[in-house]
Amino acid sequence: MTLWREGELAAALEGAGYFADEGLCTAIHLALRLGRPLLLEGEPGVGKTEVAAVLSRVTGLDLIRLQCFEGLDSGQALYEWDYPKQLLQVRVAESRGQDVGDLYREEFLLRRPLLRAVQAERGAVLLIDEIDRADSEFEAFLLEFLGDFQITIPELGTVRARTPPIVVLTSNRTRELHDALKRRCLYHWIAFPEPDRERAILRAAVPGLEERAAEGLVRAVQRVRRLPLLKRPGIAESVEWARGARALAEGGSPWPVALRRALGLLIKDEEDTRLLLAHAEEVFDDA
Amino acid sequence: MPDLTPAADHLWGFLTALRSVGVPAAPTKRADLLWAIAESPPPDLTTLYWYARITLLQNVDDLPAFDRVFDAWFRQGGPGGEDPPPEGDEGGAPSPGGPGEDDPPREVRPGDGIEASTLSTYGTREFGRTGEGRHALMRTLEAAWPAVLPATPSRRRRPARSGDRLDVRHAWRRAHRHDGEIIELRRLARPPRPRRLLILVDVSGSLRLHTPDLLRVAHTALRAAPARTEVFTFGTRLTRITAALSHPHADQALRAVSGLVTDADGGTAIGAALARFLGNPRFAALARGALVIVLSDGLERGDCAPMVRATARLSRLGHRLVWWSPLACSPTYRPATRAMAAQLPSLDHLGGVRDPPTALEEVRRLPAVLSGPRHTAARRWSTPPPLGA
Repeated sequence: MTLWREGELAAALEGAGYFADEGLCTAIHLALRLGRPLLLEGEPGVGKTEVAAVLSRVTGLDLIRLQCFEGLDSGQALYEWDYPKQLLQVRVAESRGQDVGDLYREEFLLRRPLLRAVQAERGAVLLIDEIDRADSEFEAFLLEFLGDFQITIPELGTVRARTPPIVVLTSNRTRELHDALKRRCLYHWIAFPEPDRERAILRAAVPGLEERAAEGLVRAVQRVRRLPLLKRPGIAESVEWARGARALAEGGSPWPVALRRALGLLIKDEEDTRLLLAHAEEVFDDA
Repeated sequence: MPDLTPAADHLWGFLTALRSVGVPAAPTKRADLLWAIAESPPPDLTTLYWYARITLLQNVDDLPAFDRVFDAWFRQGGPGGEDPPPEGDEGGAPSPGGPGEDDPPREVRPGDGIEASTLSTYGTREFGRTGEGRHALMRTLEAAWPAVLPATPSRRRRPARSGDRLDVRHAWRRAHRHDGEIIELRRLARPPRPRRLLILVDVSGSLRLHTPDLLRVAHTALRAAPARTEVFTFGTRLTRITAALSHPHADQALRAVSGLVTDADGGTAIGAALARFLGNPRFAALARGALVIVLSDGLERGDCAPMVRATARLSRLGHRLVWWSPLACSPTYRPATRAMAAQLPSLDHLGGVRDPPTALEEVRRLPAVLSGPRHTAARRWSTPPPLGA
């Protein structure tokens, strides 16, 4: 795996379509350098999950994703024995009059994301997404894995990663994570992007968007985020909004009207829409 | 090789200062920072800032304090001036006041927040007897709890008639009896396990009339799920009353509690009390993944920021955070006090409870709160401006 110097890392990420600010670049740089898991927190839609995807693109390593949910257990995260296959094996051996042999061989092992990440030859990018959705007991269980990147299977022994995976954990902060888990990770809070960076993102994601329109749109989005909304729009939403408004503008709507008509792509809650319309003047005045 | 001792000393001072303002930096995290600096020396101060922040910080809430310390040590060339004390425990602590400083009684309307006082009176109080009619009601309430308490799938699978997994181990064992023939398959399921229920009861003076009834409500919950319920009271101090309240007879339990709770009918410092609760790791662990119910009017005097912060943290720790306020029983009630309005976004539900009957109503409302999305209290209580306003 190549190790970038810091400046090169930002350029590499940008080449893969991700505009990271200095803090995030440093975080990724240190995570690669020190081989530590990177815990990313931030509001929904600021591009936490995308960090793992873009890392997989720039490193050329496989992306292995573990989506967390309530009730996630080791059978779904690590490995499981394929019991039906084992039973079948017994049956087949019986009918042929053969010896059954060892039933706990690798071929009867169902590999789940964490085990796959450990066994990847060249290493991998492992994304443990929305860890806050899993039970807090699951975090305790992740500790061994994140500490030394190894998994113990009683029947086979300990599997240790030859090349440690690059691990990215994301959390929406719906609950607080254990300190023990945080201690093993580097931590970065991804804030909403500043206007300049959001413009750059829009320019890359919505080709053909006029510079003046992009500027007004970003200004409006930044103002919308200052309103006391139930759900503040993330980057994904502002990109969708820009795409929608551009499509409407191409159909003949004047730009400010197109922006308002495409509002459903930015705000996805009835009460938020009402609140926004009440403040329409200050949000859209020069868009 | 240049002499690095002054730099190392400075760094050490910075790390110590961080700890003194309450930003924890565990040894492994400190080692990470030093390792990072050694691996790729930061070319400028901004990079050093990011190195330190990414390796040391564990919680975005600590960021302001972290920034202050970093600025003091690296941007102003040394530990210039006194750092402001850490916010948190001290933030909403009651200021000492003599007995003569009490305000004259005023007329109190629901929600106007003038009744809370920071005056602490230390003394016990008898909570009276449960009326005859109440007993039947409390039994109904006790019976209503178990059905509404949230459950989560247990981590350990147990044999079950219909489960998501085959009990292969069991099947193997049974097969021995039939010459290796598998005759029946057993299944495993994850039986539901009730979540913990954490009840925090406000016993301050503004709730004087309701305190006994609120404790009775807590008593029914404790009776309904004795192994999974924890009860605390808070006024100017925090008291764990789970053991005292667990006597099967309500009046006896209340008597035991009155001997234990020394801050009943005193002042309020909800923020400080909750911060104290959260500051104790053993207590905070009780809130993790639990259904948290706070019985309080939310009348906080003075700066409400510590209370709002504590509520937000409580909400993140717990499975759901429900706030039951006696004031909310009034149909004209609006969560309009600064403290209540500010913490509303952290709440999953804000309901009116002042005695067992109202509690019964709210308990029956819990399943909807538990199955719905989080943080909907603000939505339910908000009155957004009408369209086109």
